[in-house]
Amino acid sequence: MAFARTSAGSRSGTRASRVNGVLLLPALVLFLPLLIGPLAVLLDESLKPYEAGRIGGTEGAELTFENYTELADPAYVHYFLDTFRIGLIVTLAAILLGYPIAHFIVRKASPWLAKLLIASLIGMLFLSLIVRIYAISMAYGPLGPFNDVSWLFGIDPRSPAKTELMVIFGLLHTVLPLVAITLISTIQNINPRLEDAALSLGAPRWKAFTSITLIMSLPGILSAGIIGYAFCISNLVVPLILGKGFVLFVSNLIYFRFSEISNFPSGAAISILMMLISLTIFYGLMRLVRDKNGEARE
Amino acid sequence: MSKRYADAFFFTGYYGLIALAILFALIPIVIAVVLSFDNRTFIGPFPPTDWSFRWYEEFLTSDYYHQGLKTSLIVSSTATLFSTVIGALTAIAIDRGRFWGRGVLQSLFISPLVIPTVVIGFGVLMFASRLGIVDGLPRLIMGHIIITFPYVVRTTLAALIGLRPSYFEAALSLGATPYQALWHITIPLARTGIIAGAIFAFVMSFDEVAVSLFLSDPFTYTLPVALLAQMRANLNLTIAAVSVIFIIVTIVLIWALDRIAGLDKIVGQGVYGRIR
Amino acid sequence: MTTVLDLQSIEKSFGAVRAVDGVSFDVARGEIVALLGPSGCGKTTTLRLIAGFEQPDGGRIVMNGVDVALREPYERNVGLVFQDYALFPHMTVAQNIAFGMKHRGTPRAEIPKKTAEVLERVHLSGVEKRWPSQLSGGQQQRVALARALVTEPDLMLLDEPLSNLDAKLRHHLRIELREILSKTGSTTIIVTHDQEEAMGLADRIVLMNAGRIEQIDTPERLYAEPKTRFSADFIGQSNWFEGTVRGDGADGTAQVDTPAGPVSIPLVNGFAAGDRIAVCVRPERITLTGPDLESTAPGQTRVAGTVDAVEMLGSDIRVWLKTANGAQIQSSTKYLGGPRPKVGTKAAACFNAADCILLEAEGKRE
Repeated sequence: MAFARTSAGSRSGTRASRVNGVLLLPALVLFLPLLIGPLAVLLDESLKPYEAGRIGGTEGAELTFENYTELADPAYVHYFLDTFRIGLIVTLAAILLGYPIAHFIVRKASPWLAKLLIASLIGMLFLSLIVRIYAISMAYGPLGPFNDVSWLFGIDPRSPAKTELMVIFGLLHTVLPLVAITLISTIQNINPRLEDAALSLGAPRWKAFTSITLIMSLPGILSAGIIGYAFCISNLVVPLILGKGFVLFVSNLIYFRFSEISNFPSGAAISILMMLISLTIFYGLMRLVRDKNGEARE
Repeated sequence: MSKRYADAFFFTGYYGLIALAILFALIPIVIAVVLSFDNRTFIGPFPPTDWSFRWYEEFLTSDYYHQGLKTSLIVSSTATLFSTVIGALTAIAIDRGRFWGRGVLQSLFISPLVIPTVVIGFGVLMFASRLGIVDGLPRLIMGHIIITFPYVVRTTLAALIGLRPSYFEAALSLGATPYQALWHITIPLARTGIIAGAIFAFVMSFDEVAVSLFLSDPFTYTLPVALLAQMRANLNLTIAAVSVIFIIVTIVLIWALDRIAGLDKIVGQGVYGRIR
Repeated sequence: MTTVLDLQSIEKSFGAVRAVDGVSFDVARGEIVALLGPSGCGKTTTLRLIAGFEQPDGGRIVMNGVDVALREPYERNVGLVFQDYALFPHMTVAQNIAFGMKHRGTPRAEIPKKTAEVLERVHLSGVEKRWPSQLSGGQQQRVALARALVTEPDLMLLDEPLSNLDAKLRHHLRIELREILSKTGSTTIIVTHDQEEAMGLADRIVLMNAGRIEQIDTPERLYAEPKTRFSADFIGQSNWFEGTVRGDGADGTAQVDTPAGPVSIPLVNGFAAGDRIAVCVRPERITLTGPDLESTAPGQTRVAGTVDAVEMLGSDIRVWLKTANGAQIQSSTKYLGGPRPKVGTKAAACFNAADCILLEAEGKRE
């Protein structure tokens, strides 16, 4: 409410800004508490000591940082490492596969082919995660006809490394359309005449592509990567099903705290930590990309 | 001539990657579709030798799945309705306003896209229990409102960005009150963005698993949660049949989205776009 | 004079649209040729064919005696200045200019010197370290010109080089562009829809319409002797009188019976009595006189009417006369002071047979 009332420089004067206040009211009264409430409760819970056998933290006890400090234990490190490492692999793979598709759609495909591909990408994005995971385990899993694909990556289909590959496939199937769609708008914003200019100045096509279009889309690639990465590291269901206990993300850890041992304070602490990491990566890096980009242009 | 060879080499790789991406995306879906017609009761070598519709029958006659589908439809449509109405109003206010804290507020409304869904699920669970809400349905709706809200705000904002404020001002100069101008001018002009947002919201809510996993109870569970439980229990081809149904529904939704908003427009703005 | 570029019956279709339909012309070394025509006439496609961005469906593109129709753009030594300049926004001015030299094999050590030289040639010294976005439109245009010139291409192609600039600057840069191009002796093709730009810059104009060439001529002859009705209408303004040639006058002139009355013409171009022809008279060749001057000199035409509209343009004054049969005649004369003619007053338009341009009559085209 305070926001609306201080709206001095509104476009259409004070009457219109009063209208703005009314428009914002439902979100401020209904949505904002719904968003802030759970996060505040998580924060509160994460500061309570855990008592085994009790659901929820101890009421009235003194606040403690124990739930956070225990996360420094080496036993937890591999959850974080796995999450960030696999997220990175998936994001890089998504960019490698997604950029050519996005470029093809914007620059080379005929209008109907472009539309078909865009529809497929949105369809791939809309596809239920459950369907996706199931289909991937049916196709590339131990019983699937494409089980041996893992040899292409030098991985024995019977080794634990195969489960990691399955998790990567599962995440990639969602992140790929996400990254490709984001890159389409990036490439759309690059003047196609620039590549023509490079060709007329004697550059071969591959060089015109890499030194002009690719370089100019770096900020877009980075933000697409950040979006994809944020999705990867916060995913629960893909490692839960395809990881089969061999590959565990931080999200799995939070879920176990809830479902297996009911250690809510610890789950809350990990949640808060995970959220901070995600928000930092997303908004922090996004800002960095934008600032760097702005510098080069000015 | 060496430039030509380098080009040929480079573009072999370029088209190779495109082919690889399409194969990777398509193979699992084709396999799932084929398996949904498998008559065998175990998962045998591919391709199936015997065909039937038994898995479709099983899905259509199972009370367990029916219960899940019913809950999913109630949760997703309630959450979509709420998010669409309030999200659209919010987007209009953010677009028009030049008030202090506007950027912060916008980031806040979009943030559920970035907050891990596990965190939202876990948080809502504890928030609800502190409010004394122990029933599955209201909890699920709460969680789904949070995750669908940003989609409507985003798409509506994107539709409004291209609009000149002069439309609204022209309506005011012609004697309309701000509310009349809003109702007759701004909202109709943002219509495609709002509808696209509603479709996105519904799809994302209907597919959502992680949040629902925390908020379901033994009697109230969404369809994806039911499928997930089945998948963890035993590899059962009913899910392949459900997958085919989902794929068909997805195709219909894409078609609707294209008719209503135009796919190029949606992609042109980016699904997540840039954070403004 | 050696021929740098020789286009022989070039054809290019996009789907069912014949964008370029049998275009042939050549360009000699050091010559500046303008490719002029309305939008959609195929001039931009012709440019893209010459540059190598498109491949022709038929015909030959001969550069310095070699058919280059199937060559990649980087295998042709053609310099291009794009309509929107297409300066690489992520490179400085110096990096933009160096780009072509790197790919055309200029020794690395010579690049800074050549960059400075070419910038001086386009009157833009000292901007090497700036980003394109820091330059004004006119400066960007000159950097684009420098970037293309520095590799010493056999042929320069300029696509609507001045259309993105405001009117005042456009005139100034047109003169400067002409000076830079002739000083470097560049063989140049300028694509434009602006007749003034084509007239001001080119040695020869190739006038295109609907994928075909209407006329190739010097600017003067294109104006004075248009070969088609399209040429006459596209370059400058025209008044048209259509009718049948009657007889052979005693003084070597003939007359055409038109709806506006008889028009005296010189009998040239091989027209004979009974032919249907179209007579074109430029507005500045028409003088207005009072209505009651009865006698006309031999070879002179007088058409009576009423003043319909008057437009004051400063140095010129333009008057539209409505004739008895409802046709309009436009006259444009130097304004020499005094009050402007009043709308509704009676007047007559006069012109000499020598000022008539004779063309075959076509089907009614407006």
